[in-house]
Amino acid sequence: MKNTLKLLWALPLFAIISLTSCDKNDPEIPNEEELITTLIYTLTPEGGGNAVEFRFTDLDGDGGDAPVITNGTLAANTTYSGVITLLNETETPAEVISEEVEEEAEEHQFFYQFSNQSFSGGFDYADADGNGNPVGLLTTFATGTPLTTMLTITLRHEPNKTASGVSDGDITNAGGETDIEVTFDVTIQ
Amino acid sequence: MPGGAHFYMSSFRTFFLFPFFLFPLLGIGQNCTLKIQGKLTDEGTGIPMAYATVYVEEVQAGVAADSSGNYSIPNLCASSYHIQYRHIGCEAKTIFVDLRKDTTINVRMHHHDELVDEVVIHEAHDDHGAQASVSIQKEQISEIANKDLSEMLESMTGVSAIKTGAGISKPVIHGLSGNRVTILNNGIAQSGQQWGNDHAPEIDPYVADHLSVIKGAGALAYMGSSLGGVVLVEPADIGNDPHLHGDVNYIFQTNGLGHTVNAKLEKHDKWAAWRISGTAKVFGDHTAPSYYLTNTGKREFNGALQLEKKFSSKWNMKLYYSEFFTEIGVLRGSHIGNLTDLEQAIGRDEPFFTEDHFSYSINAPKQQVQHHLLKLESNHIFNEHQSLHIRYGGQLNNRKEFDIRRGERTDIPALSLSQWDQFGEVLYRHFFDHGSRLKTGAQFKFVDNTNNPETGILPLIPDYRSYQTAAFAIYQKEEKRAFYEFGARYDFTHLQAVTISSSLPRKIERFDHNFHNYSLSAGFRYELLRNLKLNFDAGHVLRSPQVNELYSQGLHQGVAGIEEGNRNLKNERSIKTVLSLDWNVKNKLFVQALGYYQYIKNFIYLQPEDEFRLTIRGAFPLFTYNQTDATIAGADLLVSYEPIESIRLLAKYSFLQGDDISNEQPLVYMPSNNLFGSFSYSIKDGEKRKNTSVSVNGRYVFKQTNLNADQDLLPPPNGYFLLGASAGMSFKLKKATLRLSLNGENLLNTRYRDYLNRQRYFADDLGWNLSVRTNVTF
Repeated sequence: MKNTLKLLWALPLFAIISLTSCDKNDPEIPNEEELITTLIYTLTPEGGGNAVEFRFTDLDGDGGDAPVITNGTLAANTTYSGVITLLNETETPAEVISEEVEEEAEEHQFFYQFSNQSFSGGFDYADADGNGNPVGLLTTFATGTPLTTMLTITLRHEPNKTASGVSDGDITNAGGETDIEVTFDVTIQ
Repeated sequence: MPGGAHFYMSSFRTFFLFPFFLFPLLGIGQNCTLKIQGKLTDEGTGIPMAYATVYVEEVQAGVAADSSGNYSIPNLCASSYHIQYRHIGCEAKTIFVDLRKDTTINVRMHHHDELVDEVVIHEAHDDHGAQASVSIQKEQISEIANKDLSEMLESMTGVSAIKTGAGISKPVIHGLSGNRVTILNNGIAQSGQQWGNDHAPEIDPYVADHLSVIKGAGALAYMGSSLGGVVLVEPADIGNDPHLHGDVNYIFQTNGLGHTVNAKLEKHDKWAAWRISGTAKVFGDHTAPSYYLTNTGKREFNGALQLEKKFSSKWNMKLYYSEFFTEIGVLRGSHIGNLTDLEQAIGRDEPFFTEDHFSYSINAPKQQVQHHLLKLESNHIFNEHQSLHIRYGGQLNNRKEFDIRRGERTDIPALSLSQWDQFGEVLYRHFFDHGSRLKTGAQFKFVDNTNNPETGILPLIPDYRSYQTAAFAIYQKEEKRAFYEFGARYDFTHLQAVTISSSLPRKIERFDHNFHNYSLSAGFRYELLRNLKLNFDAGHVLRSPQVNELYSQGLHQGVAGIEEGNRNLKNERSIKTVLSLDWNVKNKLFVQALGYYQYIKNFIYLQPEDEFRLTIRGAFPLFTYNQTDATIAGADLLVSYEPIESIRLLAKYSFLQGDDISNEQPLVYMPSNNLFGSFSYSIKDGEKRKNTSVSVNGRYVFKQTNLNADQDLLPPPNGYFLLGASAGMSFKLKKATLRLSLNGENLLNTRYRDYLNRQRYFADDLGWNLSVRTNVTF
């Protein structure tokens, strides 16, 4: 009896030895399939012409190297149709995350805010989710008079789309979590 | 005069001349000349428990102690007895004795629980020597078993809790918490993801017979860091009673419509002594005074098994296993994506996502934690002077945290960590003839921490292994009115971290660190007068930086900041001195005053940098781990006044100030000063009705004013007052005791926010709550 009990000590001893005898294994690098590395806002002038691309790329996610931002120049008094593309470029080929947003359209909304108060153009959502509320993957952008402004594009997850002003593009009462918030310099000339 | 309960009334006048001891039948024809005698004292003050009643269940009769707490029960037979000790205002204590010869049983009652310090309790075990400490006993633990460990500890002076909403709390001792506080569960240092402010200790306090906090500087016998203090969670030994005993506890609370069920069974069987216990808690959404705190429900399921086997008078073994599982919801409105969200969520009248109805469901954001602990202990007593103790502890901790995620990934944890922990120690004790003793030991600890890649997110802290070896020696000497203690400890830690780079291409890097820590302590206790005791201790303790401080990498969602570790951190080096005074004025007024000063060189803290990190989710402020020199000074004061036996007034005050002396600014997250007062009234026991009392209490927490405006997102909340009340009553049933009690908190439904609750940015703290408890002990 006593001897068998003494054997009990072999158990923890064995555990210690077996667990400590070698170096820590290499961790498995997680597959960051949810990561959004890239936002592209493509503006195509209605009635033809060259598309303008605004691009924000941060391949290594939060922290690490700084993101790369490409701004663009638009023509005054022109109406553009805008398309948002979200990519995860750590995957090959790049994964199109905007499709996920489209699938969960009711839970997402993009907001577009101009810093320059004298922006005289027009801006509208050009799409809708299953409930008839805007999503903002597609937009219409009328530039108006020449000026420079900053444009902040925000993607909210689980916003309250029925709150006052939200479906008109006012972010104030939207709530929810921010999945994306990027700012571009826009030159209208 | 039917029943035993009235006996003691008469013996006020005389002692032992009137020993209402009735053995009508048992005495005949047997050798019934045996005697049990002893002395009853209060554990907190050492004062004799005058006129306490001593009742022998088997013969349904009893005696009263005299004015010096002495009792004597004559004419007992050679048989086994359950002896129950009672005194006004205390929970009864039952002791089993298998009587073969005249026996002395000295009993310590819990009359002045608020004054109990470990120095008194553990003198016999020499565990904490001259360290200043406070504790909570079994009856109180069971009374508030619906609370977390840290919430229970919070009732002690000098101890606070850092919280994340209603369900998550961590103890803070004299301003320090997390990596700086060690929690010993059954003598094994709790191991898990202790670095997180929102990671509560995975311990069910119901298993403990007492909880204590060592505030002094040099609890050197324990693995882990004692720089900020040590919390002890200790179940008592099972005892020698061959009958089945146990208790069942049920508490319903109105806030969160919470149910708590505990049960405990124990028996000293021939093959071994055993105890099993279990706890289940189910809470729904808690409520603030004017709205539901959506998604703050909680589930908890815990179990424990304790076995003790005595092979001979020289050898015994103990086994302990416990399992802890919890699922805790985090306030939906406190989940934010970036700094803009945070600014919007802050200062709202009502948090975002507040539902207008109650729910038991727990959705993301939430935490799921599972913790296993196995302890094996072998004690060898060679002779009166020497003993050897071998102990093994193994722990497994699995933590998963769920966030609100896109693309049906909410069910995939955003953080998933597994930690293995192996611990072994050998202790040797030597009691010398001239009243001194030596305790020395060697310890080994191994930790293996792994991120599970299921998250699809780069880990916040890396995978790592750590190996720690340590040795210590403590020498104590007792002379007439003085007690000295000296201790020394050495720790060597080897840390092996394996990180994944934050820049592309992702690569795996390995880093090794070695840390040498040494600690020294000295304690001194002196009885200046019979009623005045002085306690002084001083300690020099080092703490090595932990893996989160060295290697954190990534976004801390709750505070919308990017946290970066610092690989060059050095050991923290602390000197703490504690001076305390216990003064007993005519056995009616008790004063405990404690003052402390702590200097910490290379104090590790999170420094907000001027720089912002731009990400696709916007710009985040950057916080890096940095070192500075800090001081923490404070005082704890406790006054207990008992004008007559049935009335007790209690007042407690804690004051603390923490400063970063290199940068000339206050330390953040230091507890606010607070004041507590209570009035309790105990009613004399009736024939069946025992231990009846009512009490009212108030707690005022001052505004934290020692903080600069630029050190926090919001200024610290205003001071607040909370009113509470409780009432309890026990009934003697045939073979059991039934206890009913009520406990009310925040009865004025005050709207308040607490500086140490990290959810104060988003929501009010809890509204009123009433807990109803039923307990059966048999």
